[in-house]
Amino acid sequence: MRGYDAFADAITTLNLLPVFGNPGTTELTSLKSLDDYVLTLFDGLSVGMADGLSQFTFSPHLVNLHTILGLGNSMSYIYSAKMNYSPVVVTAGQQDLRHISMDPLLSGDLLGFIGNNVKYKHELKNASEISSVLTRAIKESMTPPIGPVFVSIPMNLMDEDFSYSPPVPPVADFEFSNNEAVDAVADLIKASKNPALVFGWEIDLFNAFEEAERVSEKLGCPVFGETLAHRAPFNTESQMFAGNLLPGTTLINLKLLRNDLVVFIGGDVILYPYLPSPLLEGKKVVFVGLNISPKVGEFYKANVRSFLKGLEGKITKKCNFSRPTDFQMTTKIANEKERMGVTYVMSKVRKQFSDFVIVDEAISSSPIVRDVLGYSPRRYFFSKSGQLGWGSPAASGISMKEDKVLAIVGEGSFMYSLQILWTIKKYSLPVKFLILRNGGYSILKSYSLSYSPGVEKKDYLSFDLPTEKFAESFGIDSMVAGKELEELKWLKEGKESKLLVVDVDRSIPKLFL
Amino acid sequence: MKFLTVLPEFIPSSSVKETINQILPEMEIVNDLNFEKNEADVLVATTFTSLGREELKKFPNLKYLQIASTGIDNVDLSYIKEKGITICNIPVANRQSVAEQVMAFILVFLKDMVFLNAELKDRKSWPLLTGSRDLEGKNVGILGMGAIGVQLAKRLIPFGPSILYYDVKRLNQEEEERIGLNFVTFDGLLTNSDIISVHMPLTPQTRGMFNHETFSKMKDGAIFINTARGEIVDESALIKAVKSKGIKAGIDVYSKEPPDFESELFKLDNVICSPHIAGVTTESQQRFLTETISNVLRYAQGIDPLYKVEL
Repeated sequence: MRGYDAFADAITTLNLLPVFGNPGTTELTSLKSLDDYVLTLFDGLSVGMADGLSQFTFSPHLVNLHTILGLGNSMSYIYSAKMNYSPVVVTAGQQDLRHISMDPLLSGDLLGFIGNNVKYKHELKNASEISSVLTRAIKESMTPPIGPVFVSIPMNLMDEDFSYSPPVPPVADFEFSNNEAVDAVADLIKASKNPALVFGWEIDLFNAFEEAERVSEKLGCPVFGETLAHRAPFNTESQMFAGNLLPGTTLINLKLLRNDLVVFIGGDVILYPYLPSPLLEGKKVVFVGLNISPKVGEFYKANVRSFLKGLEGKITKKCNFSRPTDFQMTTKIANEKERMGVTYVMSKVRKQFSDFVIVDEAISSSPIVRDVLGYSPRRYFFSKSGQLGWGSPAASGISMKEDKVLAIVGEGSFMYSLQILWTIKKYSLPVKFLILRNGGYSILKSYSLSYSPGVEKKDYLSFDLPTEKFAESFGIDSMVAGKELEELKWLKEGKESKLLVVDVDRSIPKLFL
Repeated sequence: MKFLTVLPEFIPSSSVKETINQILPEMEIVNDLNFEKNEADVLVATTFTSLGREELKKFPNLKYLQIASTGIDNVDLSYIKEKGITICNIPVANRQSVAEQVMAFILVFLKDMVFLNAELKDRKSWPLLTGSRDLEGKNVGILGMGAIGVQLAKRLIPFGPSILYYDVKRLNQEEEERIGLNFVTFDGLLTNSDIISVHMPLTPQTRGMFNHETFSKMKDGAIFINTARGEIVDESALIKAVKSKGIKAGIDVYSKEPPDFESELFKLDNVICSPHIAGVTTESQQRFLTETISNVLRYAQGIDPLYKVEL
């Protein structure tokens, strides 16, 4: 069998289709027998789409990049996939090995270039490696910590004739129970006077929402969401939910000031601005999860779902926490209507899009998006890397399996991946876009106000973008919303992609200390 | 058609006669009901004239009763219903004035103005740390979300408190969201509010609804404001709550008016009083007059009057 036939058969057998990519000459031979292909007009968007789809389906998806140049264009997306624990199988063509010593055009050190941004990397030495290397790549990507992998495919190997053995799709097993962890944490809770629970994204990954809620109710302790959770850490409708932790040591310490024990389950601590206070000093801190690598405290490796099931039987009531009713939200909404504050806008979005998957890349508004829309199972995605331009392709990737997807994106972020609109149109993807247009890089302005006063006034941090016209130019229907936001109904209707621009309050939000 | 206006004694008929007669020359204006019978088809009165069954019987031809105020608890509504008389009030003339008065009570208490004023003027002291508080973030409970309740909520919202309300009839959700209201139970309002303002009419159900039990459910140190009707509050229970729970009270209305000035209510530091004046401002009086005359004119011309009271 020829290499290209083997490649096509292997990725079909391994359930890696469709291929996301933006090919060049070094990839042409590998595509000879492949038709199930999603073209993006910028390489990185392929990785973004595969990242969104891989997270949503909890299964690996394949990207085929154009050698070192496509890889270069995609590095930030690959880094995001790593930070998002997304099992993306990245492949790229490599120049013909028969003249590689001559450093031909489009050749390069792909493995060196991708560095430690993938957890496994390999350049095929001959065509007979196709099955085994792709199988291993999948296994590696789905072994905690879950993450992207990379396979370099020299173009000449695709024409090689060899005896092909089809791969056997590996089965991922995450049932990693740990009785020692259950006993140890139960003992810590028993000895604690006032414990707090912090849940993270693995609750969504392993669908442990019910277990998490039962444990928190049995303990009676407040539950916090991990900092910058990139997936839903808890059901926010629960009376036990006390809010999200914010990404700064002092901010975390203040929230957990009165707790002597902090148990992180399926989540980690991501910090953003430097703050001098040591993290949770003087408290007992313990982390439990499969994918996380905590920087402080004790760590127990365990599947959070089985861990919580075990823990439930070993704990008793410790506190009587119940979230007080939030009456303040209605005041904020009423107060913000005139100036189109994001709380007001999100209150309207919540009514129309409560059953949609939300992909959040409204960076400066993200805390409000989370607070108002809330978390529910497999309904919230965000990039933990801080990358701009991830949300639109990730939402598009998810929309290949889910009809109801709403990407909430700032107009600055949206420009990073504008070409995704072409892919959306070509493949009739149903993703809806809500563009929060605030006239610039609001997150930078907010950061400046706190840590670099004066920079927020630089004119290059502000811009006026006719986003709705960009969408129209790609054939995507678009509108600019009025004060009543009636256009949200229009946005929701139908399966075709649409884009709605909302001109939100341009005052700089106070996001940092 | 015969028209009669009865004004309370403290408003001399001559003061408004000229204005009214410019528009309705046939309107008779009196200051009391000291007559056996009157042929009037249309009667205009304020809340200060008692219109019980016996008084109303003096008007055998009465078809339309216009009360030139918000409250109608001076009228025997069962008689009105029996006789099929149309009754209208003017709910739009003083709602702004009452809402502003409540704002004044709230801010005076939160900013500790009475104490601070006394510190400087009477005690010649210069306190650096006081109990002054912000309205932002407080829970304000509004009991009764009629015209005045809505006006109060709209004035409060820019200050940033949460608004809780209870009423026997809930507003629709859109209206609640537009204004920024959280509907709660009566108990929920009592237990969650830092400030409570009463805007219910006096009915058999609301008479004495603020009593020992209800005050006991309120937060210690909460602010209680009554600009509605005095009989809604058991004054002895209020006095006890002020003394035992540190409740601060802004009182405009009393169970008996004028009240007993020897009442302990007037001796408590945490109580600020006004003489049923919340709705009475120069501007509101003008609005009452204009709205009343214009409504009577509508009726006289065969047009349905505004603000009909559903019985």
